[in-house]
Amino acid sequence: MRPLLLLTLATPMLAQQPIYDILLRNGHVMDPANRRNGRMDVAIIGNKIARVAPDLPAASARVVVDAGQYYVTPGLIDIHTHIDAQGAWLNVNPDHNCLPSGVTTAADAGSSGHKNFENFKRRVIDRSQTRVLAFLNIVGAGMYGAVEQDVSEMDPEAAARMIAKHPGVIIGIKTAHFKPPSWEAVDRAVKAGTLANVPVMVDFHPGDKYPELVLEHMRPGDIDTHFYGRLTPQLDAGKKMQPYVMAARKRGVLFDVGHGSGSFWFRIAVPAIQQGFLPDTISTDLHKNSIMLPRANMITTMSKFLNIGMTLEQVIARSTAGPAKAIRRPELGTLSEGAVADIAVIAVERGKFAYLDSGHGKLTGDRRLRCVLTVRNGRVVWDSEGLSLTDVSRAGPYSNFK
Amino acid sequence: MRPAALLVVAASLAAQPYDLLLKGGHVIDPASGTDTIRDVAVTGNSITRVAADIPAAQAKKMVDVKGLYVTPGLIDLHAHVYGYSGSIFPDDTALVAGTTTVVDAGGAGYRTFDDFKKTIISRTLTRVLALINIAGGGMTGSASEDNVADMLPDKTAAVIKANRATIVGIKCAHFGKPGWDAIDRAIQAGRLAEVPVMIDDKIFTNTNRHSREKLLDRMRPGDMHTHVFNDRQLEVIDRYSGKLQPWIMEARRRGVLFDLGHGGGSFLWPVASAAARQGFYPDTISTDLHSSSILIPQSDMPNCISKMMLLGMTLKDAIERSTVAPAKAISRYPELGTLGEGKTADIGVFALRDGVFAYKDAWQKKMLGTKKLECVLTIRNGRLVYDAEGRGFPEWTSAGDYTVIP
Repeated sequence: MRPLLLLTLATPMLAQQPIYDILLRNGHVMDPANRRNGRMDVAIIGNKIARVAPDLPAASARVVVDAGQYYVTPGLIDIHTHIDAQGAWLNVNPDHNCLPSGVTTAADAGSSGHKNFENFKRRVIDRSQTRVLAFLNIVGAGMYGAVEQDVSEMDPEAAARMIAKHPGVIIGIKTAHFKPPSWEAVDRAVKAGTLANVPVMVDFHPGDKYPELVLEHMRPGDIDTHFYGRLTPQLDAGKKMQPYVMAARKRGVLFDVGHGSGSFWFRIAVPAIQQGFLPDTISTDLHKNSIMLPRANMITTMSKFLNIGMTLEQVIARSTAGPAKAIRRPELGTLSEGAVADIAVIAVERGKFAYLDSGHGKLTGDRRLRCVLTVRNGRVVWDSEGLSLTDVSRAGPYSNFK
Repeated sequence: MRPAALLVVAASLAAQPYDLLLKGGHVIDPASGTDTIRDVAVTGNSITRVAADIPAAQAKKMVDVKGLYVTPGLIDLHAHVYGYSGSIFPDDTALVAGTTTVVDAGGAGYRTFDDFKKTIISRTLTRVLALINIAGGGMTGSASEDNVADMLPDKTAAVIKANRATIVGIKCAHFGKPGWDAIDRAIQAGRLAEVPVMIDDKIFTNTNRHSREKLLDRMRPGDMHTHVFNDRQLEVIDRYSGKLQPWIMEARRRGVLFDLGHGGGSFLWPVASAAARQGFYPDTISTDLHSSSILIPQSDMPNCISKMMLLGMTLKDAIERSTVAPAKAISRYPELGTLGEGKTADIGVFALRDGVFAYKDAWQKKMLGTKKLECVLTIRNGRLVYDAEGRGFPEWTSAGDYTVIP
């Protein structure tokens, strides 16, 4: 009797053996890198995206998430953050500031230089659930106050050597906070970028010499950050976009948001975007101050652009495929089959919502993006609605719990 | 011209005695029994008036909080902001949750407290208080937490006496060896310094420590046991009969306090539901907030309060157990935990949302609820530090070429 019974039981069970670990079902997939924009299922095996297609059978997954009310996008990429690096007081812990926003990849923008990057890597990068990448500060000691003005600390060869040791983790060079008029910091950062073949992110504000910065000193592919800030002369007195900004974009210079506590103003961003000047990359400049009143986390920053008038697809593209391309990691920011399963599930809520900029000016809008679930490396790491979880009433008797 | 202009300014100053007015909110201030619509006025860093219909013209800045609840800034009696490997910075986690005071539960011991003070306590907007670990090296793993030789009541009490402004008690946590050494030494230090002890026992270890003896014979009235709904270190509920252990109520009658300490592993729906059905709720609501409990379980204060409400606690009661009760537990009442006139202006403003919300426990099981408390605005030391809906600020289109609007 025994063997026969086992056989009968085993056959249907085998047929229903789950083949996927997680199935995000029936969501609106928005995957700009692959030009996907419609109802589809996303299936995950291990830490990889296995299939993206309509109507995958739910019975074939261990965990099924009903994403019918949501958008399913690649994990967001925030290329301008300040992650906790020893000594830099304003920096933040990546995981609880990134994962609830749907950010699965955060690039630290120059907190460390070639002298202390490896310490940062050991202490933070290697221990975070979030994928943390870095723009290496051209200043050897990193973003630590007075030393940022010390040109003798800016050694392009040493920076390039450190980048060569950590390819794909250090994805660029950062120059920041150097006081004009000297071009020394920018030029040394660009030299390091050329030696290491990586882009340079520039936070440098030479006033009326700005056209020279974006038209001559920076290379195509280099990234000008804090674009909608007050220190960038992007608008003329009549709030018209300056022609040299368009010319710089034409030659391939990229423009990044870097919201922060001082660098995103509705009185600049709204006219610029109304004239069609959208950011190439949406990013937060996340730190302890920007996160409070201006609420410059990624999902709120994206909501601001949505309510200014960009389409959802434009917003998602500039938070996924756009930044992936800018940091030359095109395998990120996509839902391609075979890619690492970094995924955000996003609600577009309707109602009356208000947003503050760096000056605490308010924009009232009718939509809000909220990340409800984040998958990082194939694991659900954020799930505000409990979409992937079993209800306690169906979890069996308490004595079964482990 | 000048004097006249100055006169006008002076007159308007006199007419505006308040810096900030929260108008039209439902004030819950358990200390005074207030549970109705009241305006709250702030001058400098103090609460100056709580009354009906304070004219908006009397304040430099008026924030409309109609439809929202206004409470004393929440006090999180069990958080981790130093020492522990999962500790997180308080400002971006507490202030956005309406929590204005966090008590670090044992991150630092007598050897490391000065470093804690220098690197964290002196630099936060959040008010950070501390339960000092009886282990000299603090909550840095078993090498410190099991090292009985470095659990020194004299030295610990001396550091407490030198830091009365910030140290409010002692923590005994994660002691993995059998016997009572750690708990007894923590209590001895508590006697020497006249402060309470918070106990957080070891999970899944054969420690030879029975909860009955711990609660009835060892702990003093006023000592706290945290992680009350984690049955693997404090058996609140008999696992097989589902009954509340009789000695739990006996301990409560003796004055032992029970703290929630939600955390990543210490809130279990079956335990909490069974306890609540039998009328047992924690005395103080706290988060055990750290880098993983803040993610899937979302153990911030408003979520912990929402979970208690799902278990049948009223909002008013939950606010009391998040303000007055923790302030009393650490002997900081009525200095903290009230909206009393003259008190430091630490205020939380919350929305109570209707809908379907998932509340998750340590086993990653969910329970659905229809109410959710959400922090909308936080005032710390008289300053508006968090404002999710921009209620305290003007539309950018009407603000001209604004610089930073205060």
